[in-house]
Amino acid sequence: MNLSAITLHVPDQSKIAGRLDFVMVASGALLILFLWAHLLLVSSVVLSPAIMNALAHFFEATYMAQVGGPAIFVVMVVHFILAARKMPFEQGEWKAFVTHGRMLRHKDTTLWLVQVISAIVILVLASVHVFTVLSDLPISAAKSAARVQGGTWLSLYLVLLPMAEMHVGIGFYRIGIKYGFISSARRAWYQRAEVVMMGGFVGIGLLTLARLYWLSI
Amino acid sequence: MNRKLHIKIFRYNPLDPDSRPHMQSFHINEYDSMTLFIALTQIRDEMDPSLKFDFCCRAGICGSCGMVINGRPGLACHTQTKDLPAEITLHPLPVFKLLGDLSVDTGTWFRDVGTRIEAWVHGNDAAFDPAAEEVRMENALAEEIFELDRCIECGCCIAACGTARMREDFLGAASIARIARFAMDPRDLRSDDAYYDVIGNDQGVFGCMGLLGCQDVCPKHLPLQDQLGIMRRMLALHSVKGILPKAVIAALKHKGHKGCCHEKH
Ligand code: HEM
Ligand code: SF4
Ligand code: SF4
Ligand code: FES
Repeated sequence: MNLSAITLHVPDQSKIAGRLDFVMVASGALLILFLWAHLLLVSSVVLSPAIMNALAHFFEATYMAQVGGPAIFVVMVVHFILAARKMPFEQGEWKAFVTHGRMLRHKDTTLWLVQVISAIVILVLASVHVFTVLSDLPISAAKSAARVQGGTWLSLYLVLLPMAEMHVGIGFYRIGIKYGFISSARRAWYQRAEVVMMGGFVGIGLLTLARLYWLSI
Repeated sequence: MNRKLHIKIFRYNPLDPDSRPHMQSFHINEYDSMTLFIALTQIRDEMDPSLKFDFCCRAGICGSCGMVINGRPGLACHTQTKDLPAEITLHPLPVFKLLGDLSVDTGTWFRDVGTRIEAWVHGNDAAFDPAAEEVRMENALAEEIFELDRCIECGCCIAACGTARMREDFLGAASIARIARFAMDPRDLRSDDAYYDVIGNDQGVFGCMGLLGCQDVCPKHLPLQDQLGIMRRMLALHSVKGILPKAVIAALKHKGHKGCCHEKH
């Protein structure tokens, strides 16, 4: 009998820690791919609202939006719970990390705090956003434009967009580091790539918002 | 050049109830190729014999003189004052127990993690024949192992690690690189499962958040970033064996690494 299930005096020999880490990283990677695809899809409105409508129709006719949307939301929540295990929620931990960050003045250490804070912002804002979009199907350029022109949604997106991009950009780099896909020799290159990518996607997002803002409905 | 250096040193004796933590300033004249170790020795010889700091080899070998130099953990004997601004702030390494002023006890800490990760070659002692010739090792492999064996346990990587500062039980980059060293060594007969048992947890590889403070301060330039990545990927893939298809695991495996995952057992 495996006594570790009954008493903590017997150390657990399970593989759970590694599996959870794997799920954390895999869900993060999935969300990165999703966000990039998402921003590119929505940005189709820049070319023409008709293209965005056609794409939206495709995703709804195939039920990818109705099923995939909530699925992505679940992935996001799972990712948050797993990643939050590392967050400095206890005041003492927060103090230790911030003191450390101030002492070291080290880019990758500071960027981790950015990731922690952006994670909380995304959790709240993306939930609101997903709920609104999915409870008002079908998606159309006209409805999106009405939301953005309403003003409240515009300010929400102007916060969510850079937060999501920063989180995803830093996350991409950190997955590469943690799992050894980025070697020390290539680290500087990836750090630059990370910044370019973030800038690029924020740019695309802003362009999309601008287009929606000035779209005549 | 010959600047006048302003050295601000953390002073506190935890054993003296009257002692209060404070910063104390010392002014000394810099001279050519002066190291921080020389500067501190001069302060102790000429200004304050009660100043506590550790040193032994003066050559970056013993690992005793680690301290926080203008915010960065480093070796005092390995740091030339000419590479620093004229104002230098010195703190004891965090994480470790403070003995007084700049002196901390890294030994107890490293002994503890060494025991936890079982930092010794696990051979088959019963089969050991003292009369037999020692088994030879490929030179390339010996060099690779030595690359990680160069760690002097100075504690800089631990002090530079945000995870180690938040979580007392975190094993730190030095310990993970240590296990990587044993994983490479054909004389260590431990299985991947055994390595997983000691560092495959949130106190070990899965606790590391990839902040790379360790990599950026290690005065011996150990390949900490690469070893952390190799060990984490190896052990994470080990944990999903039997769940993920073999082909996926094979595709994700670290290429070109001799150390882990080879069929030595
Ligand atoms: C799960 C299903 C999702 C769907 C179907 C969806 C759909 C959309 C649509 C149609 C827009 C256009 C604006 C609007 O209609 O109000 C939009 C914008 C946006 N979404 Fe999502 N979204 C989803 C999830 C997410 C998630 C999880 C995030 C963040 C991690 C996110 C971040 C954004 C941002 C930043 C914008 C601003 C528009 C831009 O700058 O391109 N979305 N989304
Ligand atoms: S890995 Fe480097 S920084 Fe860490 S203890 Fe060893 S020599 Fe010091
Ligand atoms: S990479 Fe890992 S071990 Fe190194 S400083 Fe960061 S959290 Fe610590
Ligand atoms: S005195 Fe030995 S490492 Fe500095």
